[in-house]
Amino acid sequence: MKKSRLISLLSSVALVSMLVIAIPSTAQAAAPACDGKSPINSCQGATSDTAPYVMQVPANFNGTLVLYSHGYRPDVPVPAGIPGYGGYTVTNTPQPGPLVGGSDTSVIKYLLSNGFAVAGSGFARQGWNADSAIATNAELIATFKTQFPKTTKVVAWGESLGGFITQGLAEKYPELVNAVAPLCLADNVGAELTAAGDFLWGVKTLFDPSIKGGNYSAGAAGYGEAMGDLVKFFTVLGKLKAGVSTGAWPDTASPTGKALEAAGVPSRSALLLLGLMAGLPTQSAHFDSISGPDGPLKVTFPLAISPALAILENGANAGGLAVLATLDLEKQAGGAVFDNTKTDYSARVANERVIFNAALSGNTVIDALLGALSAANPGAPRAAANAAAIAKMNALQANTGKINVPTITMVGVADPITPAGASMRIAQAYADQYAAEKEKAIKAFAKTRTYVPPMKKLISIWSTTPAAYTKFDSTGSPITTTAAAPGTNHCNFSAAQYLVVANELTTVGTTGSFIRGGAFSFMLRKAKNLKIDPFFTPPLMKFYNEQ
Amino acid sequence: MIGINRRRLLVASAVLATSGLAISTVPAQAFSPRSEVGVTAKTIKLGVTIPMTGAASPGYNKLPSAMKAYFDYVNANGGVKGRKITLVVKDDQYVPTLAVAKTNELILKDKVFALLAPLGTANVKAVAASVNPGRRGVPTLFVNTGYSGFANKKAYPTTFTLLPSYIVEAKIIAQYLKENFADKKIGLLYQDDDFGDDALAGFKEAGLNFAVKVPYASGSQGLSGVPATWIQKLSTGGAEVVVLFGVSSATGAALGTAAVMKYAPKWILGSVGGDATTIKALGVPAGVLYNATGASFVPATTDTTDEYIKLFQTINAKYNNNAVFDNNVLVGMNTAFLTVQAIAAAGANPTRKALIAAIEKKGASFASAALTPLMYSATSHVGYSGYWFGTYGPTGDLKPNGGTYSVYTTDSGTGAVVKSTYKRPAMPANGLPAN
Repeated sequence: MKKSRLISLLSSVALVSMLVIAIPSTAQAAAPACDGKSPINSCQGATSDTAPYVMQVPANFNGTLVLYSHGYRPDVPVPAGIPGYGGYTVTNTPQPGPLVGGSDTSVIKYLLSNGFAVAGSGFARQGWNADSAIATNAELIATFKTQFPKTTKVVAWGESLGGFITQGLAEKYPELVNAVAPLCLADNVGAELTAAGDFLWGVKTLFDPSIKGGNYSAGAAGYGEAMGDLVKFFTVLGKLKAGVSTGAWPDTASPTGKALEAAGVPSRSALLLLGLMAGLPTQSAHFDSISGPDGPLKVTFPLAISPALAILENGANAGGLAVLATLDLEKQAGGAVFDNTKTDYSARVANERVIFNAALSGNTVIDALLGALSAANPGAPRAAANAAAIAKMNALQANTGKINVPTITMVGVADPITPAGASMRIAQAYADQYAAEKEKAIKAFAKTRTYVPPMKKLISIWSTTPAAYTKFDSTGSPITTTAAAPGTNHCNFSAAQYLVVANELTTVGTTGSFIRGGAFSFMLRKAKNLKIDPFFTPPLMKFYNEQ
Repeated sequence: MIGINRRRLLVASAVLATSGLAISTVPAQAFSPRSEVGVTAKTIKLGVTIPMTGAASPGYNKLPSAMKAYFDYVNANGGVKGRKITLVVKDDQYVPTLAVAKTNELILKDKVFALLAPLGTANVKAVAASVNPGRRGVPTLFVNTGYSGFANKKAYPTTFTLLPSYIVEAKIIAQYLKENFADKKIGLLYQDDDFGDDALAGFKEAGLNFAVKVPYASGSQGLSGVPATWIQKLSTGGAEVVVLFGVSSATGAALGTAAVMKYAPKWILGSVGGDATTIKALGVPAGVLYNATGASFVPATTDTTDEYIKLFQTINAKYNNNAVFDNNVLVGMNTAFLTVQAIAAAGANPTRKALIAAIEKKGASFASAALTPLMYSATSHVGYSGYWFGTYGPTGDLKPNGGTYSVYTTDSGTGAVVKSTYKRPAMPANGLPAN
């Protein structure tokens, strides 16, 4: 994962002054310092929790603030040399809008050029910070309104954890926002940690038992253990990649893994099973599970090899996050927070084992793998959480999916960190909510003889993968140096896709009505790889199987 | 578990927001009459995903052209209630993720009225999970897989099976073995997935024990040296009769390798793996099938005394470039023949709902080339339920043992295997169902 993308992984927010009702009571922060320049007046400051923020207000400010929440940033530095994450330093630099590809500010510029003000906080602390970030955002909105009294509307958006924070803001303080757009929305912490943790536990259990995988020691020792885990995790992924075609296992495999290897189980099948039981997508940045090189592997590659390679790419995201988020949440909760003592991994893959049977090498191999990973196998010890820590973690912000204000979600159908199922959970919850609202309206009609249909307040946009996108070189080897395909990777949106959301968000936020019909369809088509499909139902995160 | 209200979801997730305009009456639920998706005044568009290229394509890639040939024949004779049928064919290469992508295209871009005869258990299951024709109300007619799970109307509400289930087939093969090879040591080579699981369930239900069972992972039949390990195990296990419950490419690999290794048991081929066209296309001489026993639910393709065979051969000559008339062509045309009747039964202005209702209500009485009845009803989406046994000749043609079709029938549950008393109704005049 690119560092810049990692930084936007999960995010948080801002400040509050005191004038708004139902806003947490906090110390009064100083007014922002503005440079007063034109055409953009840039302001900086900090909310009462010390979170830095930025505001940018165009000279032709139209009265609408677009508040952004950035994604997850680890709360610890990551030493150089660690794949994907190496060289990261903890930062609370505020971010007022999405950065296309990690650095392109064109979306922010577009908003400013159209008269919208933008703002964003860097948040007081990094890591899983939704509770504090929601309060920070509430304060920031109030501060902005005080500083710019012309403000009439506020819309909010954010990505990943920032999407979760945005949804949480709308659930908790609906009076503060006119519309929201949680993008590549993270699910509740338990669901996220379960997905990432299951994969990491599987890698540890089969491929390198020296990975600690959680229950880290306190302080510097725990930090060292986690960084060591990252090194081991990415090292073993490298070995798995090398063995994909031959089926060879890493030399660090556990006794359980070595027994499977001796029984003829290909490592790629084991890897794929781990990804499926964690709920990872089987399409990734460079592997579509559709294409094969010309020649004898034309069909064998997409059928038997590509899904495992997709899990390898997606698992790098998931496992890396698992280490960093586990370290973070264990510190917050005071003990181990990943628990799979009761997880039935066989049930997890009941459907997938049929669909990916060939890549999993058949039922005999699948049953051998599931047997090896079962709680009954002492060679695959399960991870037990600390009950008090779990209780504390579960007390953190949990989004119900209640839609209080017009809401737009957008997520890649093959996002490996915040799977499409997280956005689907919101859509399903809203389906029940809307049905109840409709019933209420019908009952009201019986009394008033006037039917006021409830507004449909949720639009779910899915960023889709191209029909086929794996490329091969002249030797038939897959090419992995190209940009990630649309619909894959984490929060991997084009500028055009962001603008679809920006236009819809600001329109519904200011007018109360969505852009709809042909005009909206045209926007989707123009942006490419976007769809609205009320029948598309990506599976919920596996966490919900056990609830 | 989060509460999921599927019906409500359909309503609520409709695309765009409606502003809260006050109107004086509750809007009527009835919509103004309009054409169903894929249906115009002159045409009905159907779609199929099937392996047209790749290792799994030989034999199966003849199904679409056979279906098209029959549709062309019907179209040339006025169509179905004046509408001509078109069939959009997508190549899924037998790869589940590709089947999902191609089915999405059929539904969302090509806007077909119904999906027809998709092939492969994994593919159909992947499509059901990701594309969800059931929730969309898109009929999935006459799937080309005998996986018993697809008869689960609750899980697959718009899907209709056609082939007898693999459980049915295994139970019937078990009966045949008991009647003919009770004193022999029996071996089983089976595909190690849901296909094979169904077979194992059927054999278990029938109380048949095997001296040796050899599973193979789908796709491994093409790997160098793998088929030899099968034959070694079967031979070492002393199997005198071997049941092959896999795909035809595995049959070809097994029989070809056995011939080289001088292992010559009595071979009993399941219906999926007994396609001579596929075996020949893989470079295996059809002669390796000679004297093997096979099973089928349609008449022998060489049986020109059969009125369906005669008609379909004529259509094949005129509309299908006179392709080699094998079981794939026959089954393809028969599938199209059923489809035409289903559409006609759906009324003058067919809808997807009406199509499903028509098969549930009238499907059991549809004319058909098969020698076993269709089991469709309001509670059953199960197609055929029986097989007859025959012997392969030197060119790979399957002919009924004793010269007559002796059909066995049963169900996917605990029902007994019995000799069928089914009398196939006469074919409609010229093979054109009444409109």
